[in-house]
Amino acid sequence: MFPDSQPRSFLDPQVIARLAAVPLCARWPMQGNVSGRHPSPHRGASVEFAEYRKYVPGDDLRRMDWRAYGRSDRFYIKEFEADTNLRCCLVLDTSGSMDYGSDGVTKIEYARRVSGTLSYLAAQQGDAVGLCCVAEGVVQNVPPRRNPAHLMHVFDVLDKTTPEGPTQLVPVLHELAETIEQRALIVIVSDLFVEPEQLRGCFEHLRFRKHDVAAFHLLDPRELNFEFYRPMRFLDMEGGPSVFVEPNEISERYHKALGQYLNEIRELVLESAVDYHRVSIDEDYEKVLMRFLVGRTRARGVR
Amino acid sequence: MTFLQPFMLAALPLIGLPILIHLINQRRYQTTNWAAMMFLLAANRMSRGYARLRQWLILLARTLAVAALIFAVGRPLASGWLGLAAGGRADTTIILLDRSPSMSQRATGAGASKLETGRRQLAETLETLGSSRWVLIESTTNQPRELTSPKSLLDLPYAEPTSAEADLPAMLEAAHDYIKANQTGRTEIWICSDLRENDWRVDSGRWDSLRESFTELPQGVRFHLLAYPDAATDNVTVRVTDIRRQQTDERSELLVSLALSRGKADGKATIPLQFDIEGARSELAVDMVGSKYELKDYRIPLEGDHERGWGRVSIQADSNPADNAFYFVFDQPLMRKTIIVTDQPQAVWPLELAATIPPSPSAEFAAEVVPVQQLASVPWEQVSLLIWQARLPQQEDAELVRAFIERGGQAVFLPPHTPGDETLFGVQWASWVDDGEELPIQSWRGDQGLLANAMSGESLPVGDLHVRRYCTMSGKSTALASLRDGVPLLARATTDQGGVYFWATTPAPSDSSLAADGIVLYVAVQRAIASGAEVLGNTRSLTAGPPPAGVPTGWERLSGAETALSTEYPFHQGTFAAKDRLMAVNRAVGEDEAAVLDEARVAGLFGGLDFSRVDDRAGSLKSLVQEIWRLFLIGMIAAMVCEAALCLPKLRRREGAPT
Repeated sequence: MFPDSQPRSFLDPQVIARLAAVPLCARWPMQGNVSGRHPSPHRGASVEFAEYRKYVPGDDLRRMDWRAYGRSDRFYIKEFEADTNLRCCLVLDTSGSMDYGSDGVTKIEYARRVSGTLSYLAAQQGDAVGLCCVAEGVVQNVPPRRNPAHLMHVFDVLDKTTPEGPTQLVPVLHELAETIEQRALIVIVSDLFVEPEQLRGCFEHLRFRKHDVAAFHLLDPRELNFEFYRPMRFLDMEGGPSVFVEPNEISERYHKALGQYLNEIRELVLESAVDYHRVSIDEDYEKVLMRFLVGRTRARGVR
Repeated sequence: MTFLQPFMLAALPLIGLPILIHLINQRRYQTTNWAAMMFLLAANRMSRGYARLRQWLILLARTLAVAALIFAVGRPLASGWLGLAAGGRADTTIILLDRSPSMSQRATGAGASKLETGRRQLAETLETLGSSRWVLIESTTNQPRELTSPKSLLDLPYAEPTSAEADLPAMLEAAHDYIKANQTGRTEIWICSDLRENDWRVDSGRWDSLRESFTELPQGVRFHLLAYPDAATDNVTVRVTDIRRQQTDERSELLVSLALSRGKADGKATIPLQFDIEGARSELAVDMVGSKYELKDYRIPLEGDHERGWGRVSIQADSNPADNAFYFVFDQPLMRKTIIVTDQPQAVWPLELAATIPPSPSAEFAAEVVPVQQLASVPWEQVSLLIWQARLPQQEDAELVRAFIERGGQAVFLPPHTPGDETLFGVQWASWVDDGEELPIQSWRGDQGLLANAMSGESLPVGDLHVRRYCTMSGKSTALASLRDGVPLLARATTDQGGVYFWATTPAPSDSSLAADGIVLYVAVQRAIASGAEVLGNTRSLTAGPPPAGVPTGWERLSGAETALSTEYPFHQGTFAAKDRLMAVNRAVGEDEAAVLDEARVAGLFGGLDFSRVDDRAGSLKSLVQEIWRLFLIGMIAAMVCEAALCLPKLRRREGAPT
């Protein structure tokens, strides 16, 4: 598993072994460069029959269906579905807010585990894996490749990335939508502390480019519960101004704002067909990934 | 509102404790890194009206809870009128209890009298307020009695109703003397009374000196008046005005004259009278139309040999049971003897005549002219009236006269031919004045004294008299009749017992028309004889109060005063026997009059003093003061519950649950 014998803190071989039983599937046809296990928008040489079409001059005579000619005295070409690999592009939020974790595990560590495991699973089934670290801009971009050495490079980048700076997720996503070749699997791992309306544009842009977009929305349980009992001074981890708060006074309004945000996100992902997973980082990432993989298995097959 | 533990209110600044804790808490904030700043900023942008209000409400509830606790520990009292007056525990509490008969009045539909209600309320109130020492001054003896606790007022025999009038100025004097003698600390004087004019004696000059003396006390005295001024309009009183035993040829009989009075004269009312002569009862129903009714010489036959005895007249029960009966004793009429001492026998001849003509055939009257030298040989124990028309007595003679007066005798002094410089009873003859003209009587008192109006209300023909010559007098006396310029014609000297009168002229024709217009002279002499005769003989009718001199001790009860202590018999109406004498004790005349002091006059009596007053009614069940610390505790609990409810976080859906 680790050719260079360097154990990665974010990879658990046992978890990977259990998750390997479930394939990473694409929800829509992908456009890879080699044969793989994912549906392709093109006709190919797989065993799965696709359709008959009339022979036109220039077609390969080997693909002529002679039996159909014998029955109908017409020339038909027999076409089969093409199977291809996918390009899995992991978009990892490395802004300062990802360094938060109330229970020992920070969001960036959690994101590393998710990203690393997914990278490994994708590479293992022959898919190309790329990584794009996003903070104030694109911090590091590793284009999708499918060889094991490239995977090690991805792991190294994951290992070395540090969360800092403000989030500029929206322009980066727009940029990636344009720069990544069409029909790729874009996996966003972030806390998505962006206005939902701005995210909507990003997701629609990605969908327009026929990407299969999945999002892991990482939230700390304390961010969800906001359980503070004493006056607090909150320091913005992305360099913004600090805020002095009486928790008893503001708690209700905080939950109101949070609820409103989560509702808008939910509507947004439904409308833009994003494979969205809200994750509390105190949850076991294996279960999260299992849920993700199984969910995609059900949605497989749409061409 | 007042507090039994007012020093606990010193802890009131503690109500600022929640605010202080809040401010300290604000200072002791924690700093933490935070990722989800967008929600905090959004929350800050939202309207914070209710949240801010909730914080203030929580702070208010905490403050109120602390305040309620402090107030509860201070033991607050619910009393509107007492609030400004009381405060703190008194060192000495003196209770002035009016035990006069009018305090036995009950309100309509109430079972308790004014006195019972007052005692109960005083006991409850003073028990609540607390004091180091409680002293009772009741209206019969005016002697301070220390009480173990206010509750003892409820069963103390000295707090029961009596038939004696109260003398509020005297009671206050006793209270003042007690305060001064015992050097008490902060003193409170509680007065329980029904504000009858005869008990309060507002015209007495003692009130001024009382105000001054209480003002001068350094320790500060507070007065609380618990007043029951409501007078019963349906109350009927009965009073025997005259009782005579008369012997006729066939039988002996008792002539009873009595008077009924009632508060309101609304139509005709039938009053059943019950006569009880030593157990033999008879009844008579009389119809009463106005507010007054008089029955004259009602004859009650006696057994032949029944010469002396006692009896009672009573009416049915009404709002005041203390004036529904009147007791009397009777005996054979005594000879009414008058001693005349004169240096001019001719000048006093009309007086001798007036003193010997009996007003009724059954009475025997006698007069004896005695020279000054034989004064010691006079049987004074048989004399009703002394007429003195000579120079005023001195030394042994004066002592004899004084002893006669102190026994209850009556004396009338007329100016001698040549006035000397002797003084008796504070009065001295000055000189004769002869203006050569006849002087009319300018004014006289028809309400009391020898020249008072007749029972029918008609005045004596005093105005028809003329004085040609009069002798001026000096000294302290009360004028009953005056000539022009206020020159006294008839004056009364001040004495504890008996009666001493001074005429400024003589009945001689050269001096006045007293003899010529003899009605006034005759009535005045007969009235003086009647008053003097009351203290003679073996029967005596007394007004409830301290027994006068000459009355034997060791009384035995014959009737009435069922619940009274034997030491208090003179203060309770009834008939009593002591040695060979019979005595009837009844309430004073003033008790039958329902005149009540108005609020302004009472306030005027305590002007300049720390005084508060509450009016109540007989049978009232309400307490003067009531501890309400429980209410404050409930308030504290309510405030804490409110605080807890406000502090509770709102129930929320789990919107943060992962999908």
